Amino acid sequence: MEVLEKDQMLHLAENAVKIALKKGAAEAEAYAYEGQATNVGIERGQVTKSNRVIDRGVGVRVAVDKAVGFAYTNIIASQNTIEDTILKALNAAKASKADQNWNGFPEKKPYTNTDVFDPKILELHSEDLVDLASNMLDAAVSVNKRVFPIEGGAGAAYIANAITNSNGVAAFENGTIVECSLAAVAKEKTTVTPVCFEFNAERAYDVDPVWVGKEAARLAVSALKTKRIKTETTKLVLTQFALQELLHYTLINAVKADNVQRNQSPFKDKVGEKVASENVTIFDNGLFPAGLRTWKFDGEGVPNQKTALIEKGVLRGFLYDNYTAKKEGLESTGNATRAGYLSTPSIGTTNFHITPRNKTPDQLMSEVDDGLIIYYLQGAHSSNPVSGEFSVVATPAWKIRKGEIKHATRGVMLAGNIFEVLKNVSVVANNERKMGQLVAPWLLVENVRVIGK
Amino acid sequence: MEDVLSNINELAVSQFGAEYAETRAQRLHKTMLTLKEGRVEAAKQGIENGVALRVLVKGAWGFASVGSLNAETLESAVCDACKMAKTASSRLKTPIKIAETKTVEDHVQIKPKKNPSAIFIEDKINTALSLNKATLSHDKRVKSCTIDYLDLTGTSYFANSEGTRIEQDKLYVWSRITATASSQGVFTFSREEIGSTAGYEVFDEEPPEVIGEKVAKLAIEQLDAKPPKGGRSPVVLGPNVVGVFVHEAFGHLAEADLALSGGVLMNNLGKKIGSDVVTFYDDGTIPGAFGSFKYDDEGVPTQKTLLTKDGVVTGLLHNRETAEKFDAEPTGNARAENFRVEPIIRMRNTFMAPRDNSLEELVEDVRSGYYFKSFRGGQASLDGTFQVGIQEAYEIVNGEIGDPVRNASISGNTLETLLKVDAVGKDFKLWPGRCGKGQMAFICDGGPHIRVKEVIVGGSA
Repeated sequence: MEVLEKDQMLHLAENAVKIALKKGAAEAEAYAYEGQATNVGIERGQVTKSNRVIDRGVGVRVAVDKAVGFAYTNIIASQNTIEDTILKALNAAKASKADQNWNGFPEKKPYTNTDVFDPKILELHSEDLVDLASNMLDAAVSVNKRVFPIEGGAGAAYIANAITNSNGVAAFENGTIVECSLAAVAKEKTTVTPVCFEFNAERAYDVDPVWVGKEAARLAVSALKTKRIKTETTKLVLTQFALQELLHYTLINAVKADNVQRNQSPFKDKVGEKVASENVTIFDNGLFPAGLRTWKFDGEGVPNQKTALIEKGVLRGFLYDNYTAKKEGLESTGNATRAGYLSTPSIGTTNFHITPRNKTPDQLMSEVDDGLIIYYLQGAHSSNPVSGEFSVVATPAWKIRKGEIKHATRGVMLAGNIFEVLKNVSVVANNERKMGQLVAPWLLVENVRVIGK
Repeated sequence: MEDVLSNINELAVSQFGAEYAETRAQRLHKTMLTLKEGRVEAAKQGIENGVALRVLVKGAWGFASVGSLNAETLESAVCDACKMAKTASSRLKTPIKIAETKTVEDHVQIKPKKNPSAIFIEDKINTALSLNKATLSHDKRVKSCTIDYLDLTGTSYFANSEGTRIEQDKLYVWSRITATASSQGVFTFSREEIGSTAGYEVFDEEPPEVIGEKVAKLAIEQLDAKPPKGGRSPVVLGPNVVGVFVHEAFGHLAEADLALSGGVLMNNLGKKIGSDVVTFYDDGTIPGAFGSFKYDDEGVPTQKTLLTKDGVVTGLLHNRETAEKFDAEPTGNARAENFRVEPIIRMRNTFMAPRDNSLEELVEDVRSGYYFKSFRGGQASLDGTFQVGIQEAYEIVNGEIGDPVRNASISGNTLETLLKVDAVGKDFKLWPGRCGKGQMAFICDGGPHIRVKEVIVGGSA
């Protein structure tokens, strides 16, 4: 894979900042991005496709009289287009309104080294990925004849970020991700189970496609046998899949400083208060070893760090970008996230880490005399993002009796408030895993309303 | 541009062993705004171009995307795509074939009354500011207002190795207004979207002041609302909820790729799955609607596709690959968000056809139930389990619409639920929306008011 060199990326960004200042920006920041991904895709039981996407671009943010404008382009080979882009950013700023809370771009600070680049991933070809995907498929089908892998694949990606600004920030970092994933159903006569999904993503070339295939297949087969359950208030074992869905639209919004400042968080004015069970400790850790969201610096060039959010149930703080931090006279926590070069940074989590405790998953299960274990949820995005109230469907859930999984159940609704759920966490297991922005173990939660079908 | 693309297709077929090749080039311009309580967070503009190349070699797909229109770059990318397809074909059991379709040569030009690319960014900011003002000034209990705005204009070029050559203008205007309200420890949230392929004149149809007030009222009304009772209940659904229900609970299942993956419609083609009053369409031809276009991203003309007639499944949504598998005609539903991604089967404007009841008639027979007027998110699985979150809801008591209810949601199984639709209204409305299926697509959905004998209502009470 041919990639842009560090110097080329930094030059691209520095050049943009220089032009912006010359053309009238009071301050400027440029973000250069390169993403290259090779993927192999599975559709309905076989490898059917391979693709390769090369995406490079630059996004420029300027401030003129405390008004901010942004423009981007992916036509980076043309100096004319880059100049045109910068003019667009300046025009946008001039058309915009001054913001008295605008206190400039971040200053230069030292970075902590991370280990998120594996040259082996850069050298992966579609042949290697076809092998990886095929091993995963074979493993899935070997579990049981009733398993039907519907989609999935294997992919290798390279990402490089460079940020420079008129305060002297000049940062570059590159990293890699390799992943494989499989969605499978099990079929028996006319019964088709809900889709069961597994994946494995790593920053170094060390993924286990056989485990992914087998686990997706195991879950699908175990969803074949279903029984109805009654409406009740019960215990839930929340796996990482369920936590990722439930927390993304609720708790994670509540700890973003912009939501707190805008009266959109129930955590406003509650720092130092108990907001969760004492079993719950959560950090946002942008330097988490080999984390899927681990980088040296954030989308504004601010060093990534470990930020305490909840310690033993007590609310400790919030996630800040440069703007929201300066508004309160604080320092950014390095939580300005970017979706490539196409837009401005916004506050987001890095690795949202629920600290594991010492019980094994088996020990946690053994504490459930009667309850449900939840993997996949549907409808979490319709939660009330401000109040934390949710009403979602488990697709499916599995019934637990005396510590053992008995059968699946379909169409069960879970209703409640995520902030009440946090107060009812009785056991935190030790089986943490990485899933997108989340790093977490299983949680046991008491007293959740379950509406049976 | 089309000549360059045709040459690349020719190269794929003659030099690199492709059975089929298509190239799609785009030049796009975007304007985006985010306002929070009237503060312009950043006014944003973008210029991008790129090419997507897709080839079929030995029955497997190869795809490459590059952010360049340079002929040399494209030659090397197409060589790469063909090599990758060949590699992917190495373990193929069932080679992919695509259905035949007429070749087309066309240049689709749009003539908006107000082209967003000709409107000053100052004016767009002012429109957003008036939306913001109308929302925030309605009631002191409205605490925040976020306005997102996007317009996208540009040109798409499509050419394939069969001789199709299409140049199409692109135009989208979209805005979302969200508000939160709070009072005495209760937090509520509301949202409204605007979307059009006609032009910036969409803001003349319903002035910002009206939209802003609507969003504010929605958030305020929920403050005094009570939680719904969980359990089974009869419901009357408004066009906005019917739209998301048709889209999520039925439309996705009608996507032929999902049907093939084990979706419940696979075993129900030609069968009765709904009551006699259930008729669904997916229509890409409605002028100006957010999900409309003339040709899809495989160069197939769009159409009005009948999916269910009087309760019987009559068709699915196809691309050329699934049409071949089903021995059906491609329906023009292959869409790609942009040149970075492959076209996949997507909905356009999906709706339920109206019948003859008035809203009063739907409500009057419900002794105890709910009227769900507008939604907040929805989702469904292949087995037909659906969930739709509700933003605006009321109790129905003894045949009359009563007090507001908040944080409700409905769920059920699509096939069971469609049989329980027992009355369909005579009104009709379409709503713009965005649908995520790995990529974002602009769509509409809608329908009339309907009554469903029973769904599961999720609620905390």
